[in-house]
This record gives sequence, structure tokens and C-alpha cells, in this order.
Amino acid sequence: MSKTSPPPADSPPEGSPSAWVTSQPPRAIEILRRLIGFPVMVVRHRDLITSSVKRELAVRFQGTLLGFLWPLVHPLFIFAVYYFIFTKLLSFKMPNLQPGQESAMGVYMFIGVVVWASFGESLGRGCNIIVENGNLIKKLAFPSETLPLNIVLVNVVTMIFGVAMFLLATFATPVWKAPGIELLWIPVLLTLQTLFTYGLVLILSTMQVFLRDTAQVVAIGVTVWMFLTPLFWVPEAIPQIAQYQGFIEANPMNHIVYAWREVLMGVESVLGEVLNYTNDLAIPDHNGKLLVEITRLVSEGSTVEQARAAVGADLVPLSMSHSLIDSIRIFACWAVGMFVTGFSLFSLAQRRFADEV
Amino acid sequence: MSSNEYSLEVEGLSKSYRMYQSPFRRITEVLSGGRIKGHQEFTALNDVNFKMKPGTSLGLCGANGAGKSTLLKVLAGTTAPSAGRYRMKGRVASLLELGAGFHLDFTGRANIFMNGIMMGYSRREMEGKMDEIIEFAELGSYIDEPVRTYSSGMGLRLGFSVAVAVDPDILIIDEVFAVGDMYFQKKCVDRIYDFKRRGKTILFCSHSLYDIRQMCDDAIWLKNGNVAAIGNSVFATNEYTSFQRDHIGTGSGTLSDEYPDIPGSETRGKQLPRIVDARMYLIGTDVEAYEIRPGDSIELRVWWENPDPKGTPINIGTGLLRQDMTTCAGMGTHLDGVKLEGPKGCTVLQMPDMRLLAGQFLVPVLMMDGEGVHKYQEYLMPENLVVRNETKELGLFRMNHTWEHRHDLPVPAPKAVI
Repeated sequence: MSKTSPPPADSPPEGSPSAWVTSQPPRAIEILRRLIGFPVMVVRHRDLITSSVKRELAVRFQGTLLGFLWPLVHPLFIFAVYYFIFTKLLSFKMPNLQPGQESAMGVYMFIGVVVWASFGESLGRGCNIIVENGNLIKKLAFPSETLPLNIVLVNVVTMIFGVAMFLLATFATPVWKAPGIELLWIPVLLTLQTLFTYGLVLILSTMQVFLRDTAQVVAIGVTVWMFLTPLFWVPEAIPQIAQYQGFIEANPMNHIVYAWREVLMGVESVLGEVLNYTNDLAIPDHNGKLLVEITRLVSEGSTVEQARAAVGADLVPLSMSHSLIDSIRIFACWAVGMFVTGFSLFSLAQRRFADEV
Repeated sequence: MSSNEYSLEVEGLSKSYRMYQSPFRRITEVLSGGRIKGHQEFTALNDVNFKMKPGTSLGLCGANGAGKSTLLKVLAGTTAPSAGRYRMKGRVASLLELGAGFHLDFTGRANIFMNGIMMGYSRREMEGKMDEIIEFAELGSYIDEPVRTYSSGMGLRLGFSVAVAVDPDILIIDEVFAVGDMYFQKKCVDRIYDFKRRGKTILFCSHSLYDIRQMCDDAIWLKNGNVAAIGNSVFATNEYTSFQRDHIGTGSGTLSDEYPDIPGSETRGKQLPRIVDARMYLIGTDVEAYEIRPGDSIELRVWWENPDPKGTPINIGTGLLRQDMTTCAGMGTHLDGVKLEGPKGCTVLQMPDMRLLAGQFLVPVLMMDGEGVHKYQEYLMPENLVVRNETKELGLFRMNHTWEHRHDLPVPAPKAVI
């Protein structure tokens, strides 16, 4: 029996002892090594990760009547409620839409909700994940960095259900034009969003271990953040938005949600209509004027980059002159930064978890 | 490299915990950059040093809170040391709590899988071991039922089966031998012996000094986080026992956990009935005898105290346990209707013509309640009883027997089938 089982990759070769385990916290070089070795860790523990994710999904949905339809039901209901409130009661809408684009606002909101449902749930559940599994961490030696990853991945999977359902609807019904080649961006978006969420959950779950108030703050924070991110409103359609430009720019979720919309619904062309609308409103602000100018140039056939360059691009806030590549690039920086920060913090604090939970 | 002969080396290992009275104090400490001290330090483990070679086993004994579990936790890698260092050679499996990580909604089979994967084994390895684990756990058709439906003993069986099946080089076990019924305990002990034979290193803690003597070559007695005695297991457990003997009832507090009070009685601490000493003699003499031959006559003398003025009914039990934990004999005053009266006394158990054959036997002496159910105390004799054979007889004991040659007994007719 012992001969047939190969030693796991992390066990030292036969006959040589492992390195000394000391009381010293990991040094920068070790954290760097772990950061670089992260993909290796994921591959080595792929069985642990996949079976944990499967188990978590099974726990949530096994034995329920709707089973794996539940991850769809949740965002659908949120979407339905907000759709009713914002477009029916408050009359938010995208004006000047072409025939066949009447569902634009609904589609716009739905994509936002699907992205946020995954992200918000990851933060809410992930925040407590280390404390929740305290007994496990105390009693079993295993890579605890997989715990937050599991939660994030579970929510990525449920989000994939939502995206798949959206695609199914666009291909099968005339509700919205089916997306094309841009769909190839989906793996990139999923990866970046996972990385960003994972980094943030690593930070929050670490903080929660040492300060139990974190979860409460996160619960409030996620709600506030949700409304500050353009899920239910269209920044480009709000005339007085220009003064909040910097604020919107600074929100990484703005960029990823934009990218998703661009990929799934081709939002740029839809927003083109909206921008014409803002043109009519004649925003008095300097940024607004530039924006109008950019919009005109774009409508005459130049690219957004060219148009920005022509009017003095630096002055123009990005969210108003988005391109898919821009938003992905910005969000990628956020994602990598968040992951590096989160993973480093987690690596530093990890050795103290068992004493604190 | 000379250090390579050891599978486990521990140098100056200490562990202390920071305790904050409130989150506010922690925040104050963090914000002040440590200038305002908000925590109290609690040292659970202080400067522990030892080395182990492959194929040896080390037992940890000591009162509750002495640091046994802390030491095992640090070595299992679930918590970091505060000072000192350790290193190991080979694959480590720890069993700090049976069934840690079991998910109640899933079947036993699914949990075996998850548990193994958490310990760092691959899906393929676990699939390969699945049958063996299921066979060892002997849960029958329950293996495909949710763990929720298991009795606690069945859960423990499952946990133990996974832990021993993964075949580590170093096995760390925290007080989990009292697993399930006698039959399963025997299986576990056999498995542990098998581990030792195959050159694995075993480290475990137990409140049962018998277990430690039986299964360990060496032992450490931990007292308030410090190593109070280290050496071969008989020596270390004796040190602990004699400390207990000297300190029981002095209100030192640390021992009271191991000798629980009589439920519903005012008898507390000092007033508990206890065994003061117990020794083995050649019958009717004052010659202490721990190395004997089959056929010798021996007697066990037990000195006891029962300070409760109300005269709590007590009984004394003893037995002979072979090293593989087979109970060869069990005797108790309650079984033979002997009454132990008075505040103290010496009870003598005479065993003429001792029939056990070669082996090493533990002689536990138990102070029990009036019904012989609750154990007040398990007393450990200073030495194990060693029986040496001078004949080639086989087996556990010498059966009373004679041989005879007869001609008047024909082969019996076959029985009629009814």
C-alpha cells in the first residue's frame, strides 16, 4: 500500500528533512515565492478546490425543488424588483433608442445584477469564511487560502449560470441581439473578476479574524457600493454626472460591469444613442463639452482614442469615453493589485488564524 | 548528515497566546504601534526539546491544560510556534480531532473523500484507498448514508479509518484512542503497532497512562507547558504518577479534572476516595515481584483512602492487560462481593499459581464507585508485570490439563438427522 502511493508534491525527497519551521513570520521573499507559486498551489490542490466548490454548490442546492435553477432565480428576482422600481416607477430609461432596442434598459440592468449578485455574495459570505471554518483550521493542516477561493469560485459558477441564461435568451428570443465574437472575452473577464474578488475576500476574511466588526461593515459597504456602481442607472444619461467623474472612475466595479455589458450587449452602440441625448441637454460643464465633441467625432467615424486625442484626451474622464479594452485594462490593474495585496496580507496573517478563531 | 537519522526534531519550542479582553484593546494596541499593551500573554508551551527516530513512538502525558494538545497542534502545523523550531522528515498526518471537517449532509463515502483530499491526497489516491478505508471502518451499508444519521461512535470510526489509511511517515494523534467499542479499539491499536513495525514515527497524547506505556517507547510528562520528565515511557509515566500521588488532594487544582467529583455528592477534591499505593509481591512475603514465571504465586496489595466521613461506597478493580490491549483477566471487589469499609485500608488480592504465559502485562488498579461503574482513579503500578516462560508452551495462559491414552472408546455413530 505505501509503495503504490507516490508522495505528494510538497513532501521532501526521501531521506532529507523539511526546512525548519520557526517562529519567524514569513519574509518578503517567501511571500513573493508564494505569490508566484499561486498557480502551482491551485493545481496541486485542484482536487480540494473542485470538490469543495462542488460540495458547496451541492449544499446550497441539493434537495431543493428547483436545484441548480436557484442561482438564476435569485438575480432574476432582484432584477425584477429593481427593474420595476427604476424603470416603471421612477421612469429611468435610455432615450432615443432605435426600434428593436426597447429592452435596452432591462438588459443593461440584468447584466449589472448578474455581475453584482456574484460579487456581493462572494464578499458577504467570504468575509466570514475563515472564522466559520475555525474548527477546521485549528484541527486540520491544509492550505486555508483555498477557503476564500472556494467561495469566490462558487459564486463565479452561479454567475456563469446567469450569463449562460442571458446568452440563451439572446440567441433563442428576439429580446436582444445576440453577441458575436466579443464573447471570446468572457474567460478573460471571469478570470479578472475572480482575481479581484479573491483578493478582496482575502483581505476581508483576514480582517474578520482579528476584528469581528468587519462583517457588519462589509454588509453595509456592499449595499452602498452596489448603488454607487452603475447597475440601475446610466451615468452617461445623467447630465450632472460630470462633477462625480473622478468618483465613478475610481470604482473598479464600474469598469468590469462596463466590460461585461460591452461584451454581452454591445453597450457602446447603445450608449451612442444616449450620448446623442446628452448632446441635446447641452451639458454646461467643460467635461461635458469635450464629451459632446468626442461623441461627434466618434459618430463621424473616428475611434474613441482618436477622438480623445483630438480634444485633449487627458481631460476627458474615461467612463464617458469607455472602450472595452480600456475598461479591461483598468480593471486588470485593479485585479492584480488587489490579489497581490490580499494574498500578501493573508500569507502574513495565516499562521495566526488558528490562535484567533 | 547526522541530523538525517531523525524523523522529527524539536528545538526550544514554545507557544504563547495573546489574549485580548476586548476588541477595543486590540485596536488600541494596533493603532499605537504596540506602545500601549492591550494583551496578556499566556504561555501554553515552554522550551520543549526532543528528537525522534523513525519507527519510534512518543507519548505525551500530563494534566489538562499542560500543553499536550498545543504541542501536537504546533507540530501538526495548524498553529505557528512563538519561539523555537522543528523539522520533520516525510509525510505527516495529524489526527487532532476525529471527524474534523466532516460534513453532516454528505454520505460517509463522500466524507472519506473530502477528508483525504483536505489532508493533501489526490483524488486518485483516495479512490485507490476508498475500499480499504470502508473495509476498515466496517460501517456496512451506513457508508452510503449521510453522516448525520451516524452514532457518535460510527463518526469516530470513520475519522480514524481515514487518518490511518493515508499511511503517513509521521502520525500525530491527540487523545483519540478511545474510539468506539472494544473491538474497534483493538483494531486501532493493531494498526498503530503495524505503523511502528513499518518504521513510521508516532506521536500521541493520552490521559491513559496504560496506552502510553503500551504503545510508546518514550514519553514526555508535560506540566504547565514545561517538560517535567522525559525518558522511556515507564520512567516518564512513573514520574507523573508519583507526582499525582504526592499532590492529589493538596488543592493544586490541576489534577482535579482527571478525578471528577462524585455527581450529586458533597465529596470534593480532598475527600475523594483514592489509591495511595499499589504493589505486587510474591505471595505472603515482602518481596516485590514484577518479573515472574508461570506458576508463581503473587499478590497485589492496594493501599487506599476513603476520606468521606459519610463513607462513600467504593470498590477496587484490577486486571491484567497484555501489550496488544487484550484483557487477560479482570477482577473487582464488587464482582466478588467484597466490601471495603473504613476511612483507609490495604486490600490484598492473592493470585496463587499464576497461569499467564510469557508476555508483558499492564496491571491497572482502579478505584471505583459502589456499583463498579464510575472510575474515580486509575492507578498505575510502578512497573509492568513481566512473565518469562521456561517451557515451549504456546498461548496466553496455561490451561489446566492432562493427557490420557484410552482403548475403550469406539468412534461414535453418526447422529440421526432430525
